[in-house]
Amino acid sequence: MATFSAEVYQNEFLPDGGSDVHAIVTVTCEGAGEAGSSGSGDAAEIVIVDSSGSMGADKILAAQNAAAAALDQVLDGVWFAVISGNHEAQLLFPVAAEPGMVRMDHQTRAAAKYAIGDLAPTGGTAMGTWLRLATQVFATVPGLAQKHAILLTDGINQHETPQQLTANIEAARGQFQCDCRGVGSDWHVGEVRRIATTLLGSVDLIASAENMAADFEQIMRQSMGRGVAEAWLRVWAPQGAQVLFVRQVSPTVDDLTPRRAEVNALTSAYPTGSWGDEARDYHVAVRLPAKAVGQEQLAARVQLAIGPDVVAQGLVKAMWSSDDTLTTRIDPAVAHYTGQAELADAIQEGLAAKASGDTATATTKLGRAVQLAAETGNDEATTRLKKIVEIDDAVTGKVQLRRSVDKLDEMALDTASTKTTRVKK
Amino acid sequence: MTPATVVQCPECAAPVSAGEQYCEACGAELAPAAPAEASSAAPAGSDQPVENREAADVKPRCHQCGGDVAADGYCTMCGAKARSPRDHFTEQPATWVAAVCDRGIRHSRNEDAVALDARAEPGSHAVLVVCDGVSNSTDSDVASLAAARAARDTLARSSPSGIGTAGARVAATVQALGTAADAANEAVIRHTVEGQGEPASCTFVAAVVDASLLVVGWVGDSRAYWLPDTGEPLMLTVDDSFASEQIAAGVPRKEAETGPQAHAITRWLGIDAPDHTPHTSSLDLATPGWVLVCSDGLWNYCSEPHDLSALVQEQAAGPGADPLALAAALVDWANVQGGADNITAALARIDGPEHLKEGTHDGNVFS
Repeated sequence: MATFSAEVYQNEFLPDGGSDVHAIVTVTCEGAGEAGSSGSGDAAEIVIVDSSGSMGADKILAAQNAAAAALDQVLDGVWFAVISGNHEAQLLFPVAAEPGMVRMDHQTRAAAKYAIGDLAPTGGTAMGTWLRLATQVFATVPGLAQKHAILLTDGINQHETPQQLTANIEAARGQFQCDCRGVGSDWHVGEVRRIATTLLGSVDLIASAENMAADFEQIMRQSMGRGVAEAWLRVWAPQGAQVLFVRQVSPTVDDLTPRRAEVNALTSAYPTGSWGDEARDYHVAVRLPAKAVGQEQLAARVQLAIGPDVVAQGLVKAMWSSDDTLTTRIDPAVAHYTGQAELADAIQEGLAAKASGDTATATTKLGRAVQLAAETGNDEATTRLKKIVEIDDAVTGKVQLRRSVDKLDEMALDTASTKTTRVKK
Repeated sequence: MTPATVVQCPECAAPVSAGEQYCEACGAELAPAAPAEASSAAPAGSDQPVENREAADVKPRCHQCGGDVAADGYCTMCGAKARSPRDHFTEQPATWVAAVCDRGIRHSRNEDAVALDARAEPGSHAVLVVCDGVSNSTDSDVASLAAARAARDTLARSSPSGIGTAGARVAATVQALGTAADAANEAVIRHTVEGQGEPASCTFVAAVVDASLLVVGWVGDSRAYWLPDTGEPLMLTVDDSFASEQIAAGVPRKEAETGPQAHAITRWLGIDAPDHTPHTSSLDLATPGWVLVCSDGLWNYCSEPHDLSALVQEQAAGPGADPLALAAALVDWANVQGGADNITAALARIDGPEHLKEGTHDGNVFS
């Protein structure tokens, strides 16, 4: 049985007239068990493989091996299917007149691997149609508790309009989680990130096709280790208060604020997908009507809920004080993750400016990113940034854009921009 | 008058009187919290404080907005921290005697304490004790409550009424006040943990109403006032404080009481107290009026007897002669002024005919 705990890191002291309360809430899950084992319903997996013409013989072979490696990780009894996608989507397995899924066993695994052998590179790219088919296929099995997909692409979404893609992403929202991978340098990070973010999944770059199998294996193993099918982060704030934002800040930065669903007038809920044995950090900011010095009140109850049950709760408090030594201190966790979130924005905005030819903005933003990466001790980000800019002075953020940059390095910086380092507690 | 039944505190196993709301040794809550709105009066003849009535079926309510209080100790609506019984409590041993003791707004805990005793018959006999814990000392909230109760119990036991002349009764009560201060001082010392910060300490003021006679004893800057409905209001205590020494030296009261050293007291109860013998005064209660015993959380906002008398008459305009409602109104008023300190107001209503037939002395204060 999974157990959850919540810890709060904050400076609860506010100065006279102060109103904004910031806290980092670490939610930890232990004993999650295997996917589909929670008793709330079965688990299901769909592997979606790009089979557009640009994949070519090498990448198709790598994708076949990767799909097979993923299927090897799917536990027996878990429902599964394989979709091949180009400008339209096709259910590669199970082979039937109508869309459907089958349970994994040694026979279906072998049959699926055989079917994957039929993949041939042809046609264009319309990822929305792949998502639409996946949504339909998942819907054929009633009572599924946990639905997860891996999506592989190598190109830009050319054969449907952005509006069509948006409509298909929205139709899939809340239906299943999707980890997305792009192979090579011809796909668009922002486009695929939009799919992954909406579907509570990750986005990453597979620079070279030979790494694909290991990556798929890892994704699927992680998914199979998520025994808690679905949990919601709930935030209660008092009457008259305003929740400024709710943001996941570790392991990746992900703004949950727009995904708000109302539980009641004072409580909102944000989907967090499935959970394995892991810890995630959330940054919650609440604006309160200021009270008199000496008053104490609760600023937020931050809870993790599975269905109607609250399984962990952290209390975010506010105490008004006239003691400057108490009120001016910024909690180290809040400071760290505030910097990491700004780092992600600076990288993404800097790269977008660079792509549009705005060198001045790109230099400023990426310089700020260098500065933040140094301040928050994010060495991985510093290493990636160094491939895009020459650092004159990390402390002041003085940088120059490199003249020739490998597109893959730029994409690696972009996809990894939301990954945060944990605060040293 | 001390409740006879003794039980154990579930937290620290100290002996506690049945019906007490919280343990005077460790501050643990002993009984379900009383509803925020205490009823106005105890039934005639009852000597049980109103707050001791069982209220187990009453859900805890937020004192700020009336919302439900969650198991985590905060309101489910406005997020206010639920008030502990120690933060705000009332006593009303008889219809004519009551007190409200409140944390105020700016202090994080309530180190004021009050303990009352009264006979049912209005104007017959009452004891009002207020102790104000010194805020930079350890566990002053526990010590002040223990002190107030120890003094109250001592004074409730020694009722010299009916013996001898008025002068003899004053002398006997003065002696009882000395014994009560000893008991209070011992209670503070009993709750002093050696080697932990500043030792616990508190002020002490006790007023004993014995028919037409009022005797007051004090150590520190908690006060007693006589506020007649008509006639000259009087402050019956002289603060043992730096401010008071300045006033004696000719500095205007307002200036002295708002100066930087205004709250430095020169005498207190506690293990480090130089001298805890109470100063005393007495008065014939010849006309209807209020005996008010209070901490500086109230008088800081209204010190002069005339001002306080006007305030009491203004606040009594609504509730009339109910001492609990009036005490609550005075505490609310001090909170509206800023609630910078803990606030205690203890009142006895004097209007029985026996006072009028006792004599026609002018207010006659002596120490």
